[in-house]
Amino acid sequence: MSERLERGLNTLRAQIDTKVKSYFSSCVHCGICAEACLFYTETRDPRYTPIYKTEPLHKVWQEEYTFWGKFAKKLGLSRSLTEADLANWEELVYDGCSMCGRCSMVCPVGIDVAYMIRKVKEGLAASDYSPEGLVGAAQRAVEIGSPMGIRLKALQAQIKHVEADTGLKIPMDVEGAEYMALLSSMEIINFPEYIEALARIFKQAGVSWTLCSEAFEATNSGLQIGNSTVAAQLLERVVAGAEKLKVKSVISPECGHAYAAIRWEGPNWIGSPYSFKVIHILELLDELQQSGRLKTSGKEAARLTFHDPCQIVRRGGVEAQPRRLLEPIAENFVEMTDHGRMNWCCGGGGGVSANERAEGLKLKAFNRKKAQLDELNVETIVTACANCRLVMEEGLEENEMDIPIIGLSELIVEYLVEDKE
Amino acid sequence: MSNRFMSKHSQKFTCQIYFFLYLIFFLCLLSPLNVSASGPAASKINNPSNDLWISVRHNTESGKVTSQVKSVDSTVLINPQADRWTRFRMTQLINYGLFILSVVAVVIMLFYLFRGRIKLEEGLSGIMVHRFTDYERILHWMLAIVFIFLAGTGLILLFGRPLLIPVLGHEFFSVLASASKEGHNLFGPIFFVSLLLMLFRFVRRNIYAKGDLTWLLKGGGLIGKSHVTGGFFNMGEKTWYWIVILTGLAISVSGLVLVLPNFGQGRVIMELSHVVHGIAAIILVSVSFGHIYLATKGTEGTLESMKTGYVDIKWAEEHHDRWAKECHDNDRLISAEDYAKLQGRVVLDQNVSASPLMEETK
Amino acid sequence: MIADFIDGPFWYFSLTVFTIGIIWKLVTIVFGKRKADLSVARGSGISGAIKTIFSRFKADKGMTPHIRLQVVAGYMFHLGLFALLFFAAPHVLFLEENFFSFEGMSFSWTPMPHWAFIIASEFAFLGLLMLWLHRVLNPVSRLISTADDHIASILTFVVMLTGCLALLESFNELRLLHRFSVELFLIYFPFSRLMHAFTFIPSRAFTGAWFGRRGISS
Repeated sequence: MSERLERGLNTLRAQIDTKVKSYFSSCVHCGICAEACLFYTETRDPRYTPIYKTEPLHKVWQEEYTFWGKFAKKLGLSRSLTEADLANWEELVYDGCSMCGRCSMVCPVGIDVAYMIRKVKEGLAASDYSPEGLVGAAQRAVEIGSPMGIRLKALQAQIKHVEADTGLKIPMDVEGAEYMALLSSMEIINFPEYIEALARIFKQAGVSWTLCSEAFEATNSGLQIGNSTVAAQLLERVVAGAEKLKVKSVISPECGHAYAAIRWEGPNWIGSPYSFKVIHILELLDELQQSGRLKTSGKEAARLTFHDPCQIVRRGGVEAQPRRLLEPIAENFVEMTDHGRMNWCCGGGGGVSANERAEGLKLKAFNRKKAQLDELNVETIVTACANCRLVMEEGLEENEMDIPIIGLSELIVEYLVEDKE
Repeated sequence: MSNRFMSKHSQKFTCQIYFFLYLIFFLCLLSPLNVSASGPAASKINNPSNDLWISVRHNTESGKVTSQVKSVDSTVLINPQADRWTRFRMTQLINYGLFILSVVAVVIMLFYLFRGRIKLEEGLSGIMVHRFTDYERILHWMLAIVFIFLAGTGLILLFGRPLLIPVLGHEFFSVLASASKEGHNLFGPIFFVSLLLMLFRFVRRNIYAKGDLTWLLKGGGLIGKSHVTGGFFNMGEKTWYWIVILTGLAISVSGLVLVLPNFGQGRVIMELSHVVHGIAAIILVSVSFGHIYLATKGTEGTLESMKTGYVDIKWAEEHHDRWAKECHDNDRLISAEDYAKLQGRVVLDQNVSASPLMEETK
Repeated sequence: MIADFIDGPFWYFSLTVFTIGIIWKLVTIVFGKRKADLSVARGSGISGAIKTIFSRFKADKGMTPHIRLQVVAGYMFHLGLFALLFFAAPHVLFLEENFFSFEGMSFSWTPMPHWAFIIASEFAFLGLLMLWLHRVLNPVSRLISTADDHIASILTFVVMLTGCLALLESFNELRLLHRFSVELFLIYFPFSRLMHAFTFIPSRAFTGAWFGRRGISS
């Protein structure tokens, strides 16, 4: 047995918990999960069936925990996991799955398929069967601090622009601030409007906040590649920064998996609860709006819809807030037929957009989102994830659809009532 | 049969000839000539009660009998129909039924012997076209499986006495017959439901249209090598469809009358239903032999349509040229590579990506 | 001789394997060690767990047109089987005699009328046939199905069929055939996907709890 295979097997074995046992005992291979997965529906390739993507983990479970599996192994008849399996499943799991979790919502016996696919990634990552793009991103994240290689200098340059545009100071390393805001590399480089939005909204609402020079990166490449050790390492920087600045809460930005990483997975990676709270920017804005500290005036007339980022809404729980925030500022807001927790993925989450090899498949998967948009005939798309935004922009361009996309925070700021000084 | 002087193909052919000859011989043994008809022997002694009973029968037939019991057939003391019906079943239905089934089977076997498998002129190309949806195939196979079960149990019930009791003995046969009857009765309504679903699903594609008569006049391409035209379904398939629907409905309705006797059916209706049921069943089973043969061994490339839902474009062009043209016009062709993907048969290359990061963080 | 075996020792053996197998599997799942989730919950995991046990009985509206066959045939089969298993007269009698009789006292319930029994059986057969055919003909289920799935479907069908064949209740051979197939079914059950009949509850609960903590109804 090769070393890689052995590492993969050991990791997969360690991934099997009670939930996995229950799930594999319950699956009757009905195939309903396939109809929920955009990679299947847009290609009709049965290998993208979500439960099929868990096959490496399933094989290990079968051999270790089932009567027939153990029996067959004793007789030397079982078809154990091979290195070829790991190699073949790399494409299915990393290119053909965005971890959107729609499959987990529809399984009749209640299997959280995405939960298990995440575990398969651990095995693949441990055996070095991961896409080049993600490996590089993780490397840069560990060494430089950002998967896109953005250092503090680059952030500071963007901050300078924002300060010049707004006339506001962006707080950095302010000890004792109430909130510490994180940013995704994508936002820093492609959508610095987010930083401007934060500055203006927090100024108006009187929110005490800060950035942290040692820990500003929200994204977690460890989560994307499926390596909890790397994920914990990256997260610990944020925890250290937050503790150093003694902030009460950390704000997760408009980035899908960053929220999953810091809000839900983080404490389990580092093995202890935080000394601070974690709040998503949409949750905070919603709180500010409910308490009257955030006021808007005027409404966006364009017909628009909201694309629900999977990790924030379905897997994160922030479903009602974007709607409450859009209600006062959108005159013509229409929901996609499958919306909220059942909305369709943009196709680029879970590391797919960082994986060049998956480009073709990702564009094909986008046809699902295209179909949703074609039904609605909207003039604008609002979303709350920089990655979704970029992926959708690429998809729209590929399909020659001219629909602008805007971040929710950015949209709110357009109608923000600000005190004139 | 020597094997030094004949090629493997000739050997196989000869084997088949012998097999079929034995089968024909066996079937001849079971011919109508051997199944004895039962009927009452003519009486030579004058029975003093004869006049009484003739009068009872006469009054029954002219409706002059009354009864305190108010239920179906309570005024029927002698059912003259019954004798006719029994004789029909025991002599004509069983004998002619067996004969028809045997003849059809033999004709098909002879056809295969002489014509062989109808292969595609240009062979299979690997380029596929979608023909039947999952639902349509599920419906077909459900009807087929239920039909075969019903045909099997039904034929056991019909031919059991003359054919099976001599072989299996009374005791075993009574168990088999009881089981067959219960199974037959329960699955009958399932057949009816499946039939209705098939009716609704396929009726539009089976309406006779232009070109169908030409197909018939050219013998459907079965005789000789003339090219025949066809739409989604050719005339032969449409005719099979209508045979299934019409005989199937006759079987189903008569079957329901038979299996639900609590709706005021008298003996006469039951006897009639049985006659309809039996005749329609014999017709359907014998024509089904042809359908099964043509769909499996008979023509190359046909079974795939019901197994996978896809057919080779060459098959479509040769058997259903008008539909094939539609597929070409609407760009519905699927390459062999894409087809393999749709069937989940792609095995990926081993693309290994080594990761130095993993070494560092371990 | 065979009759005594099927009505006697083999029955007790199959029942024992069935009962112990199920209890063992469920205990390992329900009482298995679980790592506590250290994140701060937004909603209640327990209420999410209980809600999801029931919510998954209903298919999502947007999904339904694409999974209609599985849902319709699935319910036809399961409800039909449930009805005939527990409310068909011969079964009610069997259960009363074998499980609910003690020292002269017995407990039973009203069976459904015979016509309802027949209709339930037909629904069950129709559903099971459609589901198994779907498993074989649909590329997705064909790819992911294992021998276990097929054996389970066919074994269930054989149990139902032998029951149907013995409906007249006049031949001991047919009754024994049915009972024997049931015993094989009971032995196979704990070692197969048939366990989903029980494990669907903890599975739905686990997932419901996961989403419940996040405040998402699932």
